[in-house]
Amino acid sequence: MSPLANLSTNPDDQRTLVVIFLRGAADGLTLVAPVEDDNYHKFRPRLAVKKSDAVPLDGVFGLHPNLRPLEAAWKEGDLAIAHGAGVEDESRSHFEAQDFMEHGGLAAGGWLGRFLRARGPSGGPLSAVALAPTLPEMLSGAPSAAAIQSIGEFALGKELKPEFPRELERLYALEQDSKPLGAALRAAAVSTFEAIHRIESIDVKAAPANGASYDEKDDFAQGLRQIALLIKANLGLDAASLDLGGWDSHFTQKTLIEPLMRRLANGLAAFRQDLGARMATTSVVVMTEFGRRVAENASFGTDHGRGGAMFVMGGGVKGGRVLGGWPGLKPEFLDGPGDLPVWNNYRNVLAPVLQRHGAQAGSLAKIFPNFPLAPLALY
Amino acid sequence: MNTTTRREFLITGAASVALSAAIFKSVQGWLGDARQYAGRGLHRPLDGPLTPPTASEIDPVAHALNRLTFGPGPGDHARVAALGVDAFIEEQLAFEKIPDRLCDRAVARFAEVWWEPVGEAYEEDDEALTPVLRRVALLRATYSQRQLFEVMCEFWSDHFNIDAGKGDCRFNKIADDQNVIRKHALGNFREMLRASALSPAMLWYLDGRANVKRTPDEQPNENYARELMELHTLGVHGGYAQADVMEVARCLTGWTILAKKDDGYSGKLLSPLKDRGKVVFRKDAHDDGAKRVLGQNIAAGGGERDLDRVIEIVAAHSSTAQFIATKLCARFIADAPPASAVEQVARSFSESKGDIKTTLRAIFATAEFRGSAGGKLKRPFHFVVSALRAVNAEVSDEMPVLSYLEKMGHSPFRYPTPDGYPADASHWFATLLWRWKFAVALANNKVPGTRIVREKLQRDLGGDAALMATVLNRQPAPDESDAFLKSGDGLALLLASPAFQRC
Repeated sequence: MSPLANLSTNPDDQRTLVVIFLRGAADGLTLVAPVEDDNYHKFRPRLAVKKSDAVPLDGVFGLHPNLRPLEAAWKEGDLAIAHGAGVEDESRSHFEAQDFMEHGGLAAGGWLGRFLRARGPSGGPLSAVALAPTLPEMLSGAPSAAAIQSIGEFALGKELKPEFPRELERLYALEQDSKPLGAALRAAAVSTFEAIHRIESIDVKAAPANGASYDEKDDFAQGLRQIALLIKANLGLDAASLDLGGWDSHFTQKTLIEPLMRRLANGLAAFRQDLGARMATTSVVVMTEFGRRVAENASFGTDHGRGGAMFVMGGGVKGGRVLGGWPGLKPEFLDGPGDLPVWNNYRNVLAPVLQRHGAQAGSLAKIFPNFPLAPLALY
Repeated sequence: MNTTTRREFLITGAASVALSAAIFKSVQGWLGDARQYAGRGLHRPLDGPLTPPTASEIDPVAHALNRLTFGPGPGDHARVAALGVDAFIEEQLAFEKIPDRLCDRAVARFAEVWWEPVGEAYEEDDEALTPVLRRVALLRATYSQRQLFEVMCEFWSDHFNIDAGKGDCRFNKIADDQNVIRKHALGNFREMLRASALSPAMLWYLDGRANVKRTPDEQPNENYARELMELHTLGVHGGYAQADVMEVARCLTGWTILAKKDDGYSGKLLSPLKDRGKVVFRKDAHDDGAKRVLGQNIAAGGGERDLDRVIEIVAAHSSTAQFIATKLCARFIADAPPASAVEQVARSFSESKGDIKTTLRAIFATAEFRGSAGGKLKRPFHFVVSALRAVNAEVSDEMPVLSYLEKMGHSPFRYPTPDGYPADASHWFATLLWRWKFAVALANNKVPGTRIVREKLQRDLGGDAALMATVLNRQPAPDESDAFLKSGDGLALLLASPAFQRC
């Protein structure tokens, strides 16, 4: 393997963390339904997932049938779930909770940005990407992080003649060690050109591997496809973020979120199939700002709640488990206006994943300041 | 300095800018970004001689321009050569006397920057408010004639770093920029330090607002006390101990901010508009016992005067002179500045009691400064602004330019930790790709909202040779001229070249 095999300073070769944010507060009790809990069906007479429809997980939970494409990952032990996951922020405001979650409390910068910065002077030129119009707050403070809509944006510029990169490369190659910064600029240019060449050699039209299929018309699936292309091109991608929005289901919840669940599951299943063995070093985390009220409302929807569901797929996770227990939906156990409480702080789900991706135990306290971490045993 | 209350501003009738954020957002859809500059001619007039540098290496004039400014534009070398480097330094130090109409015009549409009191900012939509400071910083660095002043504002913004994304900092960092950084950037260090200690944004950012002692059992919050010594004054090995951190924290207990909700720390808010974000001393939350800080006794009963004693002690400490001198020399001389220069500069700092102009004069007078031409890497902000200046660009929308800076990890006022963006070149080498992409986009008018008139620039300067020497700040080497001609896009190539990454 050439010294340029991995262009990042990531000490753990070829590891990528993909963060999927379900914006709008996804209903954890529909995604991962406690179908064996009688109270669930009492609170949700019209919206509960029927036991007979659900994809059975363990003695308590079943996945919504639209998440069936994730069943294989679950059965193969590659998908772990944490219920009652969320933030300590009690505002039940989308903005405040997302903000709180992405910053990691009342902290400066985003948790993912701090994680990347904690690892060294600088990542590679393509260390972090967000498939989004603007950089999400979780990546704020990263050494370099690009919000892109497609891989093509990394190219130097279509209007340029082939002479341009050649002449630029030549000027940097002429940099002498004796000049200040000479050796460093020359080396930086070599790895930058290597990254550019690898991006250019990505065949964006190539069929995904292992028979995987991403929906052509689905932005979310296409975003995952681009992330898979970047991962497979060995560009040193440390982290990628992608949103799937529209989960705010106050009104006619089923019509709103059933298509979203299908997109989520199909996209993730295609991604996992496409990456194949590479999933062993690729972690996907699915999170949302909070869950929804346990009782359904009068308009076939659910209102803002607290605890939600988080997924961790791949990266060697010991899956096939819902982690952190389930206290049951007894009314006296519920929080505030009748919400699933948060018993798995989202940081305790993220912390072990970040360690898996090279965070030193000592730096976790800086990535998640002012919080007594009790990481879940994901691995 | 121009200050205005928001209400006065509304009365002046420039309502289009001061529309409430909600209305602003709803009309934004069909008007486009109303914050785009709608006037004409937002670039520097090329009315003086445009003779570029004639030396094959960076000459003393070019060196001064590289280090004291965010990069020269067309004609700057000729002007400073005629003026003389020493006179240029004095001109830049006396920044208040430099007329700055172009810059004033460029930033005039961001009225928030001058709002007083700070509470008014809280009425704004924070999503619209937070980019304002970034946009204004980019415009000022690009258009201001008070270049050294702007360079120092950037320096102190890192030194007293506040991430404008943390909590209420999104509302009150603007006031910090105005009343701490810009007010004292070329003033006195001790006064700046005191202003920073009492800045609402700093009290938020480093939790000073939560540093209270209301009961005998309550432990002070040490966050600010530690960073005050570690990052703002003495430096991490500056000779303070954990006991000093705790004693400083005790001295500063009780200084807090009036807030909308009393979260247990803040005082009661009387007028939501006038008093929000106001800094107050809560006598009932101050530890009024005797303290001992860095070997000096502070008698019991000092109350709010404890803060002044602390500022006095840390600002006058010899480690502070050493630490500030080292950082300034790293900015102006070399990433690892020679100890000989640091000694001289530290002495000037001490003897002048923290006078920043005197300290800068000492730096520029060192042989080490004069001998350091071309040895530093421009950080991304410096690179981007120097490119805009070199080609006399007109920036009518800052956001696309700022998105390049985001990609290079150097978005102004968004560094998460209190140590500020790193100065050392090693942190920035991975940004080459986005520098090159910016160079290509700028040269080809592909940065939305930024315009250059390439042919006119070339014509005004008098051809390719002069364009090369203007952008490179020296005569091109034969390989550079050769690459310029062969590349098919000479201007983009120059901006992307290794020489242009240096200063």
